[in-house]
Amino acid sequence: MPWLRRLPVLLGLNLRYYRSHKLLSILCILGIALGVGIVVAVELINSSAFSSLSASVDFLSGRATHSVVSGFGRIDEKHFPAIWTHPQVEAAAPVIEVMATAVETGDEPIRFVGIDPLLDGEFRGFSTVREDSGDFVPFLTERPPRMLLSADVMKQHGLRVGDTLTVSAAGVEKKVRIHGTIPAGDGLGDHLAVLDIAAAQELFGRYGELDRIDLIVRGNVEELARTLPLGLGLTDRGERKATLQAMLYSFQLNLTAMSLLALFVGVFLIYNFSMFSVLSRREDMSLLITLGSDRRELVGAFLAESLALGIVGSILGISFGWLVGWLSIERVSSSISELYFHLRVQELHLTASIALRGLTVGLAATLVGTALPALEVAVTPPVLGMKRRTIEDRAHGLKWILLLSAAACFLGSLAAWWASRYSVFWGFASAFGVTAAFALATPSALSPFSHYLGAWLKRWMGSLEGFLAARTIRASLSRTSIAVAALAVALSMTIGVDGMIHSFRESVRRWLDGALLGDLYISPSTTRWAHPLPNELIEMVYRHPDVEAVERYSTHEALLKGKPVKMRVVDGKVLKHHSTFHFLAGGRDAWDNLVAGGIFVSESLRFRLGIDVGDKATLKTPEGDRAFPVVALTRDYSTDQGALHIDRAVYERIWNDRSVQSVALFLKPGASTADIHRSIVHAFPGLDRTVVSNTKMKEDIFVIFDKTFAPTATLKGVSLLVALLGVATALTAILIERSREMTVLGYLGVTRREMAKINVYQGLIMGAAAFLISCACGTILTYVIVHAINYRSFGWSIDVSLDPWVFLKTAVLTTLACLASCVYPTYRLSRGRPLHLEEE
Amino acid sequence: MIPLLRLVNVKKRYVTGSAGEILPVRDVSVDIKRGERIGLLGKSGSGKTTFLNLVGGVDTPSSGMIYFNGRDLGELSSPELAEYRRSEVGFVFQSFNLFPTLTVGENIMLPLDLLGIHDENRARAMLEAVGLDGQWDKFPEQLSGGEQQRVAIARALVKSPSLILADEPTGNLDLETSNQVLRIIDEVCRDRDATLIMATHSLESLWLADRIFRLQGGSLIEQPRSGSREIVP
Ligand SMILES: Nc1ncnc2c1ncn2[C@@H]1O[C@H](COP(=O)(O)OP(=O)(O)OP(=O)(O)O)[C@@H](O)[C@H]1O
Ligand SMILES: [Mg+2]
Repeated sequence: MPWLRRLPVLLGLNLRYYRSHKLLSILCILGIALGVGIVVAVELINSSAFSSLSASVDFLSGRATHSVVSGFGRIDEKHFPAIWTHPQVEAAAPVIEVMATAVETGDEPIRFVGIDPLLDGEFRGFSTVREDSGDFVPFLTERPPRMLLSADVMKQHGLRVGDTLTVSAAGVEKKVRIHGTIPAGDGLGDHLAVLDIAAAQELFGRYGELDRIDLIVRGNVEELARTLPLGLGLTDRGERKATLQAMLYSFQLNLTAMSLLALFVGVFLIYNFSMFSVLSRREDMSLLITLGSDRRELVGAFLAESLALGIVGSILGISFGWLVGWLSIERVSSSISELYFHLRVQELHLTASIALRGLTVGLAATLVGTALPALEVAVTPPVLGMKRRTIEDRAHGLKWILLLSAAACFLGSLAAWWASRYSVFWGFASAFGVTAAFALATPSALSPFSHYLGAWLKRWMGSLEGFLAARTIRASLSRTSIAVAALAVALSMTIGVDGMIHSFRESVRRWLDGALLGDLYISPSTTRWAHPLPNELIEMVYRHPDVEAVERYSTHEALLKGKPVKMRVVDGKVLKHHSTFHFLAGGRDAWDNLVAGGIFVSESLRFRLGIDVGDKATLKTPEGDRAFPVVALTRDYSTDQGALHIDRAVYERIWNDRSVQSVALFLKPGASTADIHRSIVHAFPGLDRTVVSNTKMKEDIFVIFDKTFAPTATLKGVSLLVALLGVATALTAILIERSREMTVLGYLGVTRREMAKINVYQGLIMGAAAFLISCACGTILTYVIVHAINYRSFGWSIDVSLDPWVFLKTAVLTTLACLASCVYPTYRLSRGRPLHLEEE
Repeated sequence: MIPLLRLVNVKKRYVTGSAGEILPVRDVSVDIKRGERIGLLGKSGSGKTTFLNLVGGVDTPSSGMIYFNGRDLGELSSPELAEYRRSEVGFVFQSFNLFPTLTVGENIMLPLDLLGIHDENRARAMLEAVGLDGQWDKFPEQLSGGEQQRVAIARALVKSPSLILADEPTGNLDLETSNQVLRIIDEVCRDRDATLIMATHSLESLWLADRIFRLQGGSLIEQPRSGSREIVP
């Protein structure tokens, strides 16, 4: 193919072009890199989270083929001998696993694993890790109890074998002595403490309980499963991994969606840059055609150079993604730990497949962004002197097509909203549709906006610079509207997501206001790890003369339709008078029905498992499966797994468990919370930080909620950054294209300062337009995210409430950001060449 | 009476990487009185544009002095030079250089706006003076070349500057249109008592000049008026 032979010549010309437009090329590559980077970062985080949880399950399971678990979270240890001696079982080991913190090691939780040293050797290597190669006896019997602690904790806190650790569980502190070190093994054994199971039970008040029994099954698994005691089930590690992974699904899906948004914004940037590069070389291209070049060559050369940009951007992006992933993995791990289960993601695995996916999305984005510009090359007329103005006329002519497409996108978005009842993907499609609709309508809106704004600025503000800036924006609509659209998309997302977060927090606040009416709470931060409070404490608060009522609370894992849900055990009789729950259904006599043996289910539970008021829910109990009538539907924003409420009396009778994890105290009128606080802490000094007021209790809960949104904030920030690169690109491009007009202004006596001002005005006007568009788009997005995405991902409904602060914040942010993106172009302008008009 | 413009030993040197040193204006001293019309001849590359830029305060001489109304332009700061261009000088270019983003009316209003005089009637009268009333709301590219140049003249003259610098104003126009444009320049300069310096290649356009200079080898040489005044087309 002869035209291929000439390609290097053309590419050489192109290379020279990029060298003379370094800044723009760099901005474009950065845009691609940021978009790709964020996608890669999220992929990395998601896959690393999975491999960590998988490795951690494998590590802790050791050689176990299966585990016996309970449908209600704990196993009575009296069942152990029967399972151990079961003919199908080759080896069995009881395990108790508890998360807790220690005074010496701060807030970071340690996983305490209680094992039977004699039986565990078949499964894990722990019992052989001992520094004093003596026997098991001290490990088993000595006081204070002994444990093996992982090397990372020892090192981090300067601990040594022989030191004691003060473990705090439910506000009660107990000493444990360090007996040996668990060597660091690929980070898997990090933050781990191993101790004798009896010691663990005592330490955490879990007398007579096991969390699971690990097995090596030799024979028929079904046979074994059939003969297990009531309420117990068999699971293998694949199943456990899948269950854990499924809990993260919605969380990760949302991260992925946010990352794709950054890439989407990046496409605008690529488009703007390639369009600029095509238009500013139009004359050259026409000339080349006149000189005998073929269109195909030009398109080929153009695509080759775009591809090169895409590849460079993507490769940079992959490295950038690795960096972002590395920087944010800690935050994401801690979000997952707070919200779902304890997870420590140790390292990121940048696999070839993730890198390849990064490259693919980067190139795909580049191709989408350059499709239209390439078409522009393909239709390059062989005549010289096609003016920018003509191109702008075509852009104006396109307006109707764009408006129609915008309307189509909007309708599509409505349809997708409706379809979101079938899959959350339609929810994302709906959000995308709305955003696309506004982006497509941007040129039509920007043209009159800048026209009237310009007139207004001149007439009423006496600002000639503003007027000239507005006119320039209107005259370069094909470029400015893209930048404005990209910025509007990023800002809309900011407003939409912030609006959702605000609405969510408001709904959570209302929910908590209804659910938490206690004057004081004894609620250790360890409640989420289900540590029971000491019995003496419960008895003491019941006897306290100033206390009118006590509500005992505990939460357990339960299996419903095979899925893990939270079971909240509450005092129905107390809450009937001391709470104002907002019931979404079955509100009448809800508490009486609960006390009579019914259960409440949360919205998320109804959403995930399809169990509604009037249905029966079958729960595993020590007495076997039991069906409970569902009597009411509640709001519950604390878990998207789904939660159910059951009355304490009912629970204690059936599950034979009287443990209490937190307590709400309702005081008599006139009683002082400070006095009660003091008397409790006097008796239980470890509870000082644990007895909290109503306000503090709610604050603590909010801290956890806010963690959910921490990763989102990072992603939002990157999208915004990409959009601002877009604005900077547009401003620089305008500056290059309009340098002649700037020179003429100089001849007319406009100072450099004034020219710089025009430039700043351009940035600000574009920002203002983007902001106004995003106010409308963002508000709609809030509704879409709340109703079509959040509800469909997490199953909870949120009342939308719009916060003026969100808009104000965005306005300030936009202004600052636009000013920032003006800095370089303005600097360039004010340091420009001396005024000279080269005559044509 | 002090001349409007006085150039004393003005020299302009360009140092370029490849061609070394260029001296388009070597040693120019000249007095130009208020209301005079000067024709400036010279080969391409002889320094006509450079000369106009120096006089217009767009460029600064390498040495020598330029006095405008007795004021040394070399003493002025860059914003003061801009102020000088803004209030005293009107430029007319060969390639019109109208702002494509602004309408005809807005183009003409621009110099007034820059001076803070928001007098639309004056601008409309100026447009009428160049014979283009009714084109106020059009965009430049909707006009012919001659019409565009007339708008450019209107833009240069609307603020009644004391000095008009025209750089080959008819270079892009055909003969008939050129004459039309020149007549308009002649008229409005006369009406406003403006001083005109017009660089040109075409001898036919010299009829409106009072004095004629030729730039040659960097020096300004006055040419005798050889009756060209009478060749009014
Ligand atoms: N900014 C500059 N830097 C370097 N050299 C310059 C610059 N401006 C002009 N010159 C040089 O100065 C000389 C005079 O240029 P000028 O534009 O004044 O000529 P001119 O008489 O206007 O020519 P023309 O009739 O073609 O317009 C030329 O050789 C030109 O290359
Ligand atoms: Mg010239």
